[in-house]
Amino acid sequence: MFEEASEVFDNMFKSSFPLTFIVFLPAVLILVSPLPAEAAHEFTVYRMQQYDLQGQPYGTRNAILNTEARTVEAEVLSRRCVIMRLADFSYAKYQKALRQSAGAVVIILPKNMSAMPQDIVQQFMELEPEMLATETIVPVYFAMEDDELLSIYTQTLTSSSSQGSLSAAEVLLHTATANGFQMITSGAQSKAVNDWAITSLEGRLAGVGGEDLPTIVVVAHYDSFGVAPWLSYGADSNGSGVSMLLELARLFSKLYTYKRTHAGYNLLFFVSGGGKFNYQGTKRWLEDNLDHTDSSLLQDNVAFVLCLDTLGNGDSLHLHVSKPPKEGTPQYSLLKELEMVSSSQYPELKFSMTHKKINLADDMLAWEHERFGIRRLPAFTLSHLPSHRLAQRSSIMDVRSVSPSSRYGVGEPPAGPHVDVKKLSRNTKVVAEALARVIYNLTEKGAPGDLQIFSEQMVQEEQLSAVVDWLTAQPRAAQLVDKDSSVVSTLEYHLGRYLKDVKKHYVKADKRDPEFVFYDQLKQTMNAYRVKPAIFDLLLAVCIAAYLGVMYLAIQNFGLLYSVVRRITQPKTKAH
Amino acid sequence: MTLFHFGNCFALAYFPYFITYKCSGLSEYNAFWRCVQAGATYLFVQLCKMLFLATFFPTWEGGAGVYDFIGEFMKATVDLADLLGLHLVMSRNAGKGEYKIMVAAMGWATAELVMSRCLPLWVGARGIEFDWKYIQMSFDSNISLIHYIAMAAVVWMFTRYDLPKSFRLPVTVLLALCVYKGFLMELFVHVFLLGSWTVLLVKAVLTGAISLCSLFLFSLLSTATK
Repeated sequence: MFEEASEVFDNMFKSSFPLTFIVFLPAVLILVSPLPAEAAHEFTVYRMQQYDLQGQPYGTRNAILNTEARTVEAEVLSRRCVIMRLADFSYAKYQKALRQSAGAVVIILPKNMSAMPQDIVQQFMELEPEMLATETIVPVYFAMEDDELLSIYTQTLTSSSSQGSLSAAEVLLHTATANGFQMITSGAQSKAVNDWAITSLEGRLAGVGGEDLPTIVVVAHYDSFGVAPWLSYGADSNGSGVSMLLELARLFSKLYTYKRTHAGYNLLFFVSGGGKFNYQGTKRWLEDNLDHTDSSLLQDNVAFVLCLDTLGNGDSLHLHVSKPPKEGTPQYSLLKELEMVSSSQYPELKFSMTHKKINLADDMLAWEHERFGIRRLPAFTLSHLPSHRLAQRSSIMDVRSVSPSSRYGVGEPPAGPHVDVKKLSRNTKVVAEALARVIYNLTEKGAPGDLQIFSEQMVQEEQLSAVVDWLTAQPRAAQLVDKDSSVVSTLEYHLGRYLKDVKKHYVKADKRDPEFVFYDQLKQTMNAYRVKPAIFDLLLAVCIAAYLGVMYLAIQNFGLLYSVVRRITQPKTKAH
Repeated sequence: MTLFHFGNCFALAYFPYFITYKCSGLSEYNAFWRCVQAGATYLFVQLCKMLFLATFFPTWEGGAGVYDFIGEFMKATVDLADLLGLHLVMSRNAGKGEYKIMVAAMGWATAELVMSRCLPLWVGARGIEFDWKYIQMSFDSNISLIHYIAMAAVVWMFTRYDLPKSFRLPVTVLLALCVYKGFLMELFVHVFLLGSWTVLLVKAVLTGAISLCSLFLFSLLSTATK
């Protein structure tokens, strides 16, 4: 046959060009054909945080994943991709996977996070900081659950859990019927992002009545933080603070437009970036204002700095101070006014002062006011949280609730942290009243405690709600908000409507000794390919060989069949 | 999967052809070059069919899930060209009836195997994703080998000028069955919503029945004309 074939090829080369072309073009195409990415399932995954802060690495250090999936129940996890559902997630399982040197961890989050049971949400929130506390070598991804992914999970679960006590035949059958999944991410290895600029914004309302007026600074950081940057929406921390700051700016800009209500205080509003990374934006802003420029509102006569952090929920307000204010100072009068307003107008609201010294030995500052405290500016933070360590401030569970009924306080509230607009608006009112009483010095003028400067209609609930909605419409992790992003430009526009001299400030990490380094590849597409084990190929080869053997015998003995047919047909033809 | 899996599929698809070629004694007749010619005819006929379809059958743009019965029937009718092509191949070969049939069918089926199955197998079975459809495709190529042998036999019987009158009807029915087999299968799938393995089984049974019938006819004819 092969001699014939070579003859044929010779003839083809000699005689006709088109025939050669027809034969060889497909051959060339076949040899160069690339492997297509035709996946069983394709889904978006969000990588865990990866950053360096003050030279210390945090989070996962890897992005590339190309391994077979297992659930944590499987006996051997090494170099496998361990997939877990949030409902079954625990730190022990996570640690088990890492100890057995798993290739990767993929955690499947439910689509509607706020509908999860309270204890699971709480537990996961507690775990988030633990997962980030040390560096993890293998990639850790989060994926949103859908039907396909759930089916992949259940199939992996059945193949992972039930292989210990089966007979050999059952195992063979199992390999033929069960599916394995090869998980592959499309992106490249994560690398440090150079020259990432964190943006902060400032704006001011100038007071009247001579030179050297005292300045009140209102500060809130806008960035959010969670175990995965693309999933951190930060509704309560610190969407609520930013929306309160914008509302205060709106209220006081109204008062400052009329001559009769124009007060003798400068108001400086600052929306800081990088707040979850040790308040990098605030730090640079202070350095710029205090060290480099000659004249700045911050340099002379700052009455106090009020930082707003996590104010959208709860029935208590805590004024966190690093040094209790002395009597006679403006801070002291604000403290007293806050106490008076909350006790006389909102008896259900518990107001208290929490004192915590600045711990310079700590890696992370507790509250934003400590940045100002270090520079000897009188400052404090207002929050409904009693402690800076609470997990609410850095959780991906901190989302705007999904169902509209729970959003407006009707029906079941979501399990995790969220913003209750009614409480946010009440807190805003308390702060606005107290600030106004300080600015206009109303207590000394003998105004009663239940005097309402702003009517209920003036603090607009819809406005607050809209701002929180807009802020939580996209993840605002510091790694994702660059200087041209819509978050920054919309914030700038908002501030510009009410305030004067709106300016942007950028922070870039130092090239040689960077204080913070962010990494890319935080959002990727993952493919799950259906695969079979190598033993399956062997089994298949044996089956095919057997089949071909039968075919060979059948064709060899085709004469038998034909003679049978002839014998049947013969008598009929004789009858013809 | 792997190259090994591709090897599995390829062996399953190709070896029955090889065995048939060897065992039917075609190799002793120096029939390789004639098979290649039959294959070339296959290419030519498919090209003509494609041109015809592209010219006269605009793409059906009905809603998804709606089965265009008449359109599909007309398209299946174009497959009559296959019969012409097979006849062309057989009329150009001199020799015994069995020899002519085997050469035409082998060349035809092998050309189809190379043209429409090698590339998907190479690309698909070698990919990471495992799918049973490549094994099914290989089985399908075995079925189509039998199909083309039966079809060539029927065409040969139909074109014989000494065909007895009583044979005319059954041969024509078989011819029609051969041409519209694909169409019938599609109809089955559409009406009964068959799974891919069931489709393969139904196809095998249908092809087996057609080829058994044609074998009977062939044997009858060879005794009748003796």
